[in-house]
Amino acid sequence: MSVIQLLSRLLCVLSLATSGAALHGRNNTVSHEYCVLGAGPAGLQMGYFLSRSQRDYIVLERNTGPGSFFNIYPRHRKLISINKIYTGRRNKEFNLRHDWNSLLSDRPDLLFQRISREFYPNADDFPRYLSMFEKELGLKVKYGADIGKIIASELNGNRGYTLSDQNGVNYQCRVLLVSTGLWVPQQVDFLGSDLVEGYESIPTDPEEFKEQAVLILGKGNSAFETAQSILGRASRIHLYSPSPVRLAWQTHYVGDLRAVNNELLDTYQLKSLDGLVEGRLEDIAIVRRGKDSGKRRTSAVGKEPLYLTLTELLDDQNGKNISEVTGQNLPGYHTDNFSLRQPYDRVIRCLGFRFNFSIFDGSARPPQSSGARGRLPGVTAWYEGRGTPNMFVLGTAAHSRDYRSSAGGFVHGFRYTVRAVHKILEQRYHNIAWAATTLPISQLQSWILKRVNEASGPYQMFAVLGDIILLRGSYCEYLEEFPLQALPQLSALSGRPLSDHGLLVLVMQYGLNRTDTLGPGRAESEWTKAWRSNFLHPVLYYYNTLPTEKDRRQRPVGWPLPRPGAIHHMVEDFLTEWDQPISHSQPLRRFLEHCLQTDLRAFYAESCFLLSLTSRTPPLFCRQGYLRKQGIVGNSHLWKHAREAGLMADHQGDIPESVPENLKHAAAAVVSTMNFDL
Amino acid sequence: MCIFYLFAFLFGLTAEQCSSELIEDSSQSFMEKMHTGKTSFIYFGNHVNPTIKLFMEQLEMSADALEDYGISVVKVNCSKDSIENYCTGEKLMTKAYLFRGSEVLRSFDIDTVFDVNAIVSHVLFSVLFNEVRYVHTPAELLRVESAAKQNTDVVVGHIPVLGLPEHRALMESAFVYGTKYQFVQTTGSLVLKHMGVVDASSSQARLWFLHCKGVSSQSDPCPSIPMRKPLKTIHIHTFLQLMEAPLVTEAEVDPSEVDVVHIHLGVPVLFLFSQTQTQHLDRATAQTLALQLRGEVGVVLISRESPNVKTPLKYNAAYRLPQEDVKYFTLNSAEEVMKLFKEELLQEHKIEDEEGDEEQWPDLDILDDEVSESVYRDRDHMPDLESVAELTSDTFQTTVTQNDITVVLFYLKWDAVCMAFIQSYIEVADALEGMSGVELAAVDCGELTDICSDQNVTSFPTVMIYRPMAPAQPYRGMLGTTSLHKFILLSLVSSPSHLSSSAEVTSFLEGDLYSKHVYLSAVRVLGLFSSTQDTGVTSFEEAARLLRGETILGLFANKEAEQWVEGLSVNLPALLVSRGPGVPHEVYSIPSSSPTEQVLLIKRVELDHFPELTVENLPWYLDLGKPLLLLFIGKEDGTESTKSLAEIKRPLSSGQLDSFLPCWIHLGRTPVGRSVLETYLGFVPPLPALVISKLRTGGEVFLFPPERPLMAKNILQWIHDVENGQEQPAGLIPDGKWGPPVPFFDFLAIMDQEAPTYATQRGPKMKNGGREGNREQKPNQKQTPHSSPNPQAPRQHSEL
Repeated sequence: MSVIQLLSRLLCVLSLATSGAALHGRNNTVSHEYCVLGAGPAGLQMGYFLSRSQRDYIVLERNTGPGSFFNIYPRHRKLISINKIYTGRRNKEFNLRHDWNSLLSDRPDLLFQRISREFYPNADDFPRYLSMFEKELGLKVKYGADIGKIIASELNGNRGYTLSDQNGVNYQCRVLLVSTGLWVPQQVDFLGSDLVEGYESIPTDPEEFKEQAVLILGKGNSAFETAQSILGRASRIHLYSPSPVRLAWQTHYVGDLRAVNNELLDTYQLKSLDGLVEGRLEDIAIVRRGKDSGKRRTSAVGKEPLYLTLTELLDDQNGKNISEVTGQNLPGYHTDNFSLRQPYDRVIRCLGFRFNFSIFDGSARPPQSSGARGRLPGVTAWYEGRGTPNMFVLGTAAHSRDYRSSAGGFVHGFRYTVRAVHKILEQRYHNIAWAATTLPISQLQSWILKRVNEASGPYQMFAVLGDIILLRGSYCEYLEEFPLQALPQLSALSGRPLSDHGLLVLVMQYGLNRTDTLGPGRAESEWTKAWRSNFLHPVLYYYNTLPTEKDRRQRPVGWPLPRPGAIHHMVEDFLTEWDQPISHSQPLRRFLEHCLQTDLRAFYAESCFLLSLTSRTPPLFCRQGYLRKQGIVGNSHLWKHAREAGLMADHQGDIPESVPENLKHAAAAVVSTMNFDL
Repeated sequence: MCIFYLFAFLFGLTAEQCSSELIEDSSQSFMEKMHTGKTSFIYFGNHVNPTIKLFMEQLEMSADALEDYGISVVKVNCSKDSIENYCTGEKLMTKAYLFRGSEVLRSFDIDTVFDVNAIVSHVLFSVLFNEVRYVHTPAELLRVESAAKQNTDVVVGHIPVLGLPEHRALMESAFVYGTKYQFVQTTGSLVLKHMGVVDASSSQARLWFLHCKGVSSQSDPCPSIPMRKPLKTIHIHTFLQLMEAPLVTEAEVDPSEVDVVHIHLGVPVLFLFSQTQTQHLDRATAQTLALQLRGEVGVVLISRESPNVKTPLKYNAAYRLPQEDVKYFTLNSAEEVMKLFKEELLQEHKIEDEEGDEEQWPDLDILDDEVSESVYRDRDHMPDLESVAELTSDTFQTTVTQNDITVVLFYLKWDAVCMAFIQSYIEVADALEGMSGVELAAVDCGELTDICSDQNVTSFPTVMIYRPMAPAQPYRGMLGTTSLHKFILLSLVSSPSHLSSSAEVTSFLEGDLYSKHVYLSAVRVLGLFSSTQDTGVTSFEEAARLLRGETILGLFANKEAEQWVEGLSVNLPALLVSRGPGVPHEVYSIPSSSPTEQVLLIKRVELDHFPELTVENLPWYLDLGKPLLLLFIGKEDGTESTKSLAEIKRPLSSGQLDSFLPCWIHLGRTPVGRSVLETYLGFVPPLPALVISKLRTGGEVFLFPPERPLMAKNILQWIHDVENGQEQPAGLIPDGKWGPPVPFFDFLAIMDQEAPTYATQRGPKMKNGGREGNREQKPNQKQTPHSSPNPQAPRQHSEL
């Protein structure tokens, strides 16, 4: 018996030894609870939160350093994310509203301004910042691990993911967090697209464009950035794409054309040989003229002039592509004043980037998003891949939720969504409920005002993340920065049950935007018309029950949330300071009073004394302050003001001075009847 | 011989007999009339000036009106015949008198009875004095209500100005219906608010009907229905008829044949058809609707069962407006019907309401919060924070560790309560300026949000006390100058002070130790333990730390401690409470308990047994939850006050007042006490006044009869009577909810009105996809190159 026992023990030891050895072998496997794919800003941001909550995680990065996208892009090296160091404020939370590059951490000094003081910083500074962030926080990043394949696998009965790198190492992950960003240049297939250069590979030296006519496909920031850099060298620059230019300062979407890149708009409108044209990309073709090519074979490729034409002009009568391009195949032959009739020396594609779906095995591949031309993975409101449970998408790749509306595709936006996703992970996998501040109702108003005046998350991620206030009678729970589209699943995602007192949602949002952005009437200053505010302003929604998924789907057009029981817009403020008593505080208080069906006015201790002795349930402020021995006493100076305003009674005389004339009449009548009675 | 002009008198005379002719009457017959006990309104005059002439005309007119109520109107010409007492003196000419028989019921200034309406209303009010209750406060109204419950219904009229036609209409109705209903007249805006009128400033007269007769129990409120029409006799009459009409009339004929009182009164009627299967439900719906429409619309429930009902089945409801035919319709919900009536059929009222609304809106920009408004009025004067150190992230840690005590205020600049308190805080800082070891500082949490969250401050304002090497202690007292000042000074005393000998204990208890703190707190609490090894000692020490600044605590852990409880029925460990030299000590045993429980115990034993209630100490005493036996003392410290205090104190020690909290308020030091008394009783009785206020149990207020001497014996007897229900409450403390003080400014409603589709939910058919796709270019139509030499795409160029 003992021999057998010994043998089996030996076997055990042996098998342990082999599995240990496998770590260094070719088919080795490592397990982690969380795998973060990509050490860009989103990956490191998630790494920080996982490290802070002491989870078993690894950040996998194929390159040798973090944020390698920024080693190449933007090609002309100027970041257009604002690095505003001087705000006139010392509030660190508030200052994050104007710092678009820093990641979130509990280190107050770990801000981007340590690396650069430039308002529009150099792109090289960003990987340097990320590297500092990773080192100072001691994040676990494995560089040089190039994941080529991701397959779904069963882990203890749960769906997990196995990632394989170029060395054959397998990473078994209970939860996969994809923060790979957008790397694959977006291309459109048309005839001659091979003659087009890509933004990713064009020369950045303007001298290379001397005296050249350039056609740029695209009207986004990369197109304009390219145009701007060659403005002084190129002979003519035309920008071609389906939609007209959308200006960020008109749409409030930072992904649209930023003013920092828009010099070409000037040269276009001042007729300095540059221009914008709209048209479908799929319909065009880029061609060289046949006879020309025959004559000048010797000249280098790329010096041959390129013509823009339409696919339909290249078809012969049988619908087949012709082999030789002649004048008849060009639009200028048919329409003598066709805008793009002149040939180009270069055609450059600046159409943005798409998500790399190719590394995902079929079972692990998230679907393409319905918006954003399918360039992004489709995700749920809580950023989990649709159909890929336990896989979450973070960072720019998660922008399909708020594409062209909010900041979820940019560092200053997704740093907050990453935080929100982390809170959801903590609840789902570790049963740690979403952090909530418990407040007595009498403190709710000042807490809302505090958030409205400093919170950076809802400010940057407007209409996407919002604060949730769960009403619980005499107190409430305040949850910060919850993804609004996941509101119907609030209880499950946050671990915070609902009560029948209802809930409030605080959202920052832009308005109807129906007026000229710079024209008259663009700003609203009357609080009673606050719902017509155009600029970013706080909006409160009150629901007595949690909206359902159906309510959410059928929400009013352009609204972030379904129609509530009551709504309150706080009027936009030129200084974004929502702290004025008449225009901001009092209307907010009255809205809360309506939702809570209680008087929320503040009273001095003396008034509370009177109300506590003469009312069985004094007002809430007295109950939560004065009766808990925390009354607000005031002084004679303030009381005088309150008495002059007629809000506080004067107890000196028998008949208060403020009694109107008719009441004196009445008092006289009472006195005489009483005399009669005696 | 005097000559009387008698215009009218006897009740029951016909109109012809009693036209307002001048009737000459002899002194003799006048005297007889006086003896018959008839009521007459008499004016004595001796000459006529323009004012008097006008009054005479009005007097003549009133004769007609008052005749219906059996009241004669008489003018006596004093120049022709002088009547004793009335035709002489200063009051001649300016007064009119109401006689019942020969007795004067009341006299009136002719300024008060200035016209026919004023005469009729005032005279009737005096005559009906016993029938019409005059109330001034909600408490008085509640008293009337509770007396009327299950007995009679109540009609409440709010008459902002006496003597106008509305007043007359109410009085005339009271004369007719006075035996049937309890009539109540009020003038004050207090009651108006109580009845749910928001805009109490309007001088509109109002009337409510309180259905008190039908309430099932004393604790239920009487449902009140406002009359929505102007206060005129005919409207009141109609309204009272409607209130009498059954809530829901059941009928078994077609609507056009239904005959209910509403039709005769010119009020719309709503007909609902009930099915046999859903009879109960239908009845409930009808009841609900009827309750909501009461006074405006009559509700009839028609049973489909009856063969007389021939209304097509597709209709389940109908209505009939006055002088119109029945209109049938199909109702889907009760709300729909409400909407139909409130918004369409009764639109007159709605327009009136809207006009009222518009008047309210300009007020929206006026701050209605006393703290906000007073701080706002002070906005020109920024508080001078010179004596308070403004802390930053860099200075915070060093500051709070370098002083014996650092007091830190966490505040928000935009919060009115914080800014009101900061004035007190600066006052304390000024008072303590130069005191070594104490520093007052402030942190603006609107700026230094990181410090505030590090310190776990979630409520504003918060005051924290920092000492080196000790956890921060929150200040839990009143946010006022005196309380905080006292707290800081007491915080300098170590807590507990460890006493090592009986001599030190004496010194501690008699106030010699810490003598300079006597004016801050006369109370000393001493923990007595037999040895330092006692397990309770650590708990007590912890409790003492928590109470630092609030109470002066001593600790004597010594075998000599035993002698301090000798002869007392308490064993060690014990608490000894001293309230100053000469006052007997009190002893309590300490159960083995946690520090927080000990804190509660110490706070409780520290309380005075017969406290003077002040604004700053009331909450501690209200925590006891006992009814108050409350003596109000006037401003002038008279012997009477001192005597009354002593009289209440007498039964105190015997424990006869244990179920009460005996206490007193000095109206000089606590002027707001006058308002308390006035709210309780509706008036201020002569002081000192003793009341029982059952604040937490029932809310009744009893007044010790002012005519009885305030003696211990009488007080005990009175308390006994009160307890046995033999005393009538003199007031009632309302249990009203504090709802929103102003109507809601409803953005949703405004959106629906100004941009009808903006805030509406999408229909189920609409997809939310294409949010961004919609804006993208639509694909061009496919065209052959031959038929269209002009390519489409470049045509999109906006310049072409």
